[in-house]
Amino acid sequence: MFEELSLHILDVAMNSLTAKARTVQIMVSEYARRDLLTIRIQDDGHGMDADTLRRVLADLTTTKRSRKKSIGLGLALLRQTAEMCGGEFQVRSTPAMGTTVTASMKLSHVDCPPLGDLNATILTLCAANPAADVQLHYLTDTEHFHFSSKEPAEKKVASRPNPFWSGEEKMNYEPGRTQKVERESAAAGCLA
Amino acid sequence: MNLEELKKLKEKAQRQVALREGNKKYRVVVSMGTSGIAAGAREVMKTMLDEIEKRGLEDVEVRVTGEVGLEDVEPVIRVEEAGGEKTTYARLDAEKAKKIVAEHLEKGKKVDNLAVGKEKKPE
Repeated sequence: MFEELSLHILDVAMNSLTAKARTVQIMVSEYARRDLLTIRIQDDGHGMDADTLRRVLADLTTTKRSRKKSIGLGLALLRQTAEMCGGEFQVRSTPAMGTTVTASMKLSHVDCPPLGDLNATILTLCAANPAADVQLHYLTDTEHFHFSSKEPAEKKVASRPNPFWSGEEKMNYEPGRTQKVERESAAAGCLA
Repeated sequence: MNLEELKKLKEKAQRQVALREGNKKYRVVVSMGTSGIAAGAREVMKTMLDEIEKRGLEDVEVRVTGEVGLEDVEPVIRVEEAGGEKTTYARLDAEKAKKIVAEHLEKGKKVDNLAVGKEKKPE
């Protein structure tokens, strides 16, 4: 049992990263006026077919064959929390397209866990797979916050020299090649 | 949860991405499966990232893995050295994580009383 909703988010989003998602969108909305808290985790990973989906929603099932001791409780725990707090739980998945997990809760419900340290969850996910784009949309009645891990990461990658292709090699190799191409095209020009 | 806290997230994520690039001497792998998370792996991870940043250790990268089959002693981390040597630490919390950063990652001295299992020497 998790004490914070942000731990549920971390757990479910780790599945997304395992499913080779390039983009993980996490939407958290806290609408006090409607007494509704919704969490949606949407990825573009490899998805699941209907059979697998049915199996993972049953308790104690995991698709991770490599680990004999895997438990497979992540989604079941989130469903339990959602249903306990007067909300709903839904998983939609299409093979090769991705998976969307949605859980809602009544904000005022006495069993509704606190959201907790959402920052730590997002930072952990960023560290888990630096190549993936982890996005957070946080909505309340009056405010909207958006975060994407891809913006800083891409700038960083662009300025990084490629270790497998140093400038020196390029100098020795490239000019001869381009000259040759130029000669050929010049010869082609003469012939024409 | 408030928006001010979330705004700090952006700067922090940028700094941590910058810290993680390139080949490092140490790689820390945190077990972040369901059981790890339930036992407090996220706090261990957060503490390690903060502590590594605070001490300015540039030769360390922190990664994440799923369940490692040590559910009963979670949270578990594995410290891998560039030479191939691996050390597994178990039953961690924030304080122990700080100690590992200070001893193993900064001074290169293993914390024997937190390590579990047999040492895997490079072949």
